[in-house]
Amino acid sequence: MYYSNAILTLVVTPLLSAPLIYLIGRLFMRTGRAGAASNASQLASLLALAGTWKAYIDIVLQFNRSSATALRYITGSVPLQVDGLSILLAGLALTLGTLVVIYSRMYMRNEDGEEKYYAMLVAMTGAMIGLACAADLFNLWVWFEVMALTSYLLVAFYREQKASLEAGVKYLVQSAAGSSLVLLAIALVFMETGTLDLYRIGASAVGTPLMLAAGALFVAGFGVKAALVPFHTWLPDAHAQAPSGISAMLSGVVIEAGLVALLRAISALMAVTLSWGVLLMIFGALNMLVGNLIALKQTQVKRLLAFSSLSHVGYMVMGLGIALHAGTAAGATGGVFHLINHGLMKGLAFLAVGALLYALHIAKGSHNPLTISDLAGAAKRYPLATLALSIAVLGLGGLPPLAGFMSKWQILVAGVQANNRLIFYLVIFAALNSVLSLGYYAPIVNAVYRQKPSAAVLNGSSLPLSMQVPMVLLLLAVVVLGLWPGLVQWLTDPAGNAIMATFGGY
Amino acid sequence: MTQWLVLSVIFVPWLGALLLALSSDRAPRLQHLVASAFAVVTGLLSLCLLPLVTERTVVSVAAGSVFGNFTFVPDGLSVFLTVIAAVIGCLAVIFSIDYMHGEAQLGRYYSLVLLFIGSMTGMVLTSSMLLLFFFWEMMAFCSYALISFYNDDPKAVAGGMKALIMTQTGGVGLLAGALIAYSFLGTYDIQTFLAYAHRLPEFALSIMAFGFLIGAAAKSAQVPFHTWLPGAMEAPTPISALIHAATMVNAGVYLLARFYPAFAAVPGWTTAVVVVGVLSAFLGAVMAITASDLKRTLAYSTISQLGYMVYAVGVGAVYASQFHLMSHAVFKALLFLGAGAVIHAVGTRDMRQMGGLGQKMPFVRNVFIIGTLALAGLPFVNGFWSKELVLEEGLAHGPLWAYILMVLGAGLTAAYSLRMVYMVFYGTAKKEHHVHDAPAAMRTALAPLALGTLVTWLLAGWLSELLTGSLPYHLSHLHAPGTVELIVDVLTAPATLVAIVVIAAGLLAWWYRDLFASLSKAAALPAAMAGADFGFEWLNRVIVGSTLLAGSVLRLTQTGHLSWNALGIAGGAIAVLGLLVWGS
Repeated sequence: MYYSNAILTLVVTPLLSAPLIYLIGRLFMRTGRAGAASNASQLASLLALAGTWKAYIDIVLQFNRSSATALRYITGSVPLQVDGLSILLAGLALTLGTLVVIYSRMYMRNEDGEEKYYAMLVAMTGAMIGLACAADLFNLWVWFEVMALTSYLLVAFYREQKASLEAGVKYLVQSAAGSSLVLLAIALVFMETGTLDLYRIGASAVGTPLMLAAGALFVAGFGVKAALVPFHTWLPDAHAQAPSGISAMLSGVVIEAGLVALLRAISALMAVTLSWGVLLMIFGALNMLVGNLIALKQTQVKRLLAFSSLSHVGYMVMGLGIALHAGTAAGATGGVFHLINHGLMKGLAFLAVGALLYALHIAKGSHNPLTISDLAGAAKRYPLATLALSIAVLGLGGLPPLAGFMSKWQILVAGVQANNRLIFYLVIFAALNSVLSLGYYAPIVNAVYRQKPSAAVLNGSSLPLSMQVPMVLLLLAVVVLGLWPGLVQWLTDPAGNAIMATFGGY
Repeated sequence: MTQWLVLSVIFVPWLGALLLALSSDRAPRLQHLVASAFAVVTGLLSLCLLPLVTERTVVSVAAGSVFGNFTFVPDGLSVFLTVIAAVIGCLAVIFSIDYMHGEAQLGRYYSLVLLFIGSMTGMVLTSSMLLLFFFWEMMAFCSYALISFYNDDPKAVAGGMKALIMTQTGGVGLLAGALIAYSFLGTYDIQTFLAYAHRLPEFALSIMAFGFLIGAAAKSAQVPFHTWLPGAMEAPTPISALIHAATMVNAGVYLLARFYPAFAAVPGWTTAVVVVGVLSAFLGAVMAITASDLKRTLAYSTISQLGYMVYAVGVGAVYASQFHLMSHAVFKALLFLGAGAVIHAVGTRDMRQMGGLGQKMPFVRNVFIIGTLALAGLPFVNGFWSKELVLEEGLAHGPLWAYILMVLGAGLTAAYSLRMVYMVFYGTAKKEHHVHDAPAAMRTALAPLALGTLVTWLLAGWLSELLTGSLPYHLSHLHAPGTVELIVDVLTAPATLVAIVVIAAGLLAWWYRDLFASLSKAAALPAAMAGADFGFEWLNRVIVGSTLLAGSVLRLTQTGHLSWNALGIAGGAIAVLGLLVWGS
């Protein structure tokens, strides 16, 4: 069949390209010309991603949107599947991956080991696509680990920096702890059911004690990557210390990939317990509250955004929890819509903060963190970056006419439609949390539009075009989706239906 | 034709906002010009809508999935408020040419003002509750951003944040209501809701009704959510006139009036609306009489006057509320812009620093006095007719205690109005100010408003036709008289006589305030209470303080130690296991 080639290309291209990108970078480094290595490896990355895009578009065109069934393809003993959720996650990973490659051109220039950066970035994108297409627990775990491995190296990229190394080690240890829990859970599942195929497990899973333990281990293990409270403690350091393009990837799509892995794993165990929906809603409430309250007290912009990611994961799991509890796709659709929007908005926020960080500190060779007071008066010198940052954080705060408003609305509609008193309270709680989040987003906007510039702004350098283009694209997407939410319905509806289908076909 | 007009009063100002946002602050003259051009065109477009009023849905765009249809209905109520928003918006922009002369960041200023005008017209014209909330929040954003326009001033930043958080918190009530309506009826359409509201279960309808009341009270700065409005006075004065006096704060009254037919039967709802209105009207007036900041006095008076409108809706007098809304929008915009001219000239907002300005700025004094007459409710300017109508309806349909407090409030209003005029324009000058009368653009904005204050009451009959002609669900609640009928009605009503006596007493009480000097000790306590905002301010601080404290406490969980982090993972896993076992 035609699409099987496309699936294979989609999954394999970025992974096979990654070492090539590294080699090309090294080869051009030998030429000794300044910038040759970075130009070459960046160009190679873009070519690799272009090939992946081609395969992705082929699959999207093939994919029958109306049916909830996945395209399945088995190569050797590796089963792959493409359903609505895979398409959504792969699309988001590719979009952000491509924009970050473009963005990193000047940001990473002159850094030691640039060719590794691009190779790892492309490999990480590929790992997420693979994760989205995995159809059995073992391969899900393998892709998950590849994603984790590539991201450790990227988080600790500034290996001369103490803070960056500390963040990397914490991330490594906690993530590895999570992985081992997942591996244990897979073993338990295999022991009980004798299969690792997600579909077949689902058919034979019952609520034995071992399966319950496996479920808990899946939640905790994948929950570390998905930043569910209280498994989230690695996140603020990692997101704040990574190069900003990587922060955008981590916050915008990597933790969401963790969430998708979590969903895939527990979908097989759906029949084990009735409390999946409740569990997710509890995590939703916890994440929103903890993320927002801690973010209120942050003064470093990247840390603040990292904590805000916690609360946004909260909205997503709340939507998914409502869907599982009420048995309707609406919450899941809202949840994945928010997943897209959060990816775009948080990606934009980190790219904009990164641009300002670059202009105010990095271009001066400083690795000081960017604080809110550094941003004072930045709008006059950096109108685009500050506008992008303002739009991104206001969108995250759920203000119309920006994307975040619409996806939050969709989640809350699903909550009220569930017609359950406690879920209604949860909806009110979520809405109040959205208001609370403005308490830390709005001061950022106030700061950038001050008239008295900070010392950092006065000494700042200019912003290269390669950083501005990805910001403009994301900014437009955030506004357009806020005015016309139906534009990505072709992605969100199949993804929502796919989630419901894997959870036992409501 | 109608649909293009409806869309253009929203998108023309938004286009202007976009252009100005992209414009360079190095060409301020061009910015003034472009902003005024867009504002004037929007005002004219809104006037063109007047003959096209209809109860039909003229624009409907399917937005897909749970977003319903984006619909717009230019009925009487919508078009009436569209005209108020667009015309006063246009005058405020013209006024800004002088007021904002030489200020930095004009592009941001004008683009937010135009964004606001488009959002306000959108809010009143849409018949989708989703879009209602959408525009509602956009207005909140514009309001916040303009209050904080002088971002270097911590007071302005704090005022903006407070306005944003408080109105958004109230907005949750509106959000919940809209979601409930959708989950029961499968549509956000307001007209469908008004037609089928009785099909909703009683508890659902009452959550909606009270949720909307909370949203409306927060937006219209009604007790107990009123505390953001005085803080909002840090905004440039044209913004205070436009957003925080004449247009956005009316949104709550609009919301109550719009949904009145559906909620009137909800037990306790109308009483709650009356209580909110009376408390705001009375407490607002008390606070106004003790304030010494000119703009804050006007802000308290706005709270109080909006209380009259809310009270009118509560007693079922939807027409009277809208009639007073029209008068108030005109005379309060006049007062604020007049105050803006004074503040611009003397450079302070403290009335104790003013005095004797009347001779130096006669034009401003004259128009300000016209506005004050209307605020005090003296015959025969627009505020007189509408306030009397509200009080008369209140006596006829509402509880007596409420009526008594409202009339006392009218007396206090007269007293603080006189006090304000006296402190600013008469008496001896406290300080040497090199003041000049209002320049040309300011006069251009003030003159039509002064004229309007004198004559808009003649539009009473026209307003009733506008409302009764296109609001089928409100018909049984609209006691809308013609102009002549209104004049006879008000002049012969006993309520009018009572009110005039009380208003005169209020004026005399302030004029002969020295006679009551012995009473001033007794008045010290209420004055202190009013100065402390009757404890509501304290309540705000407690809520904000405890939220921040919770944040600080939670930060302790982010220890940065791996062993604690690992414990979190282990503990979390055990808790999850417990929950899964419970559910199996």
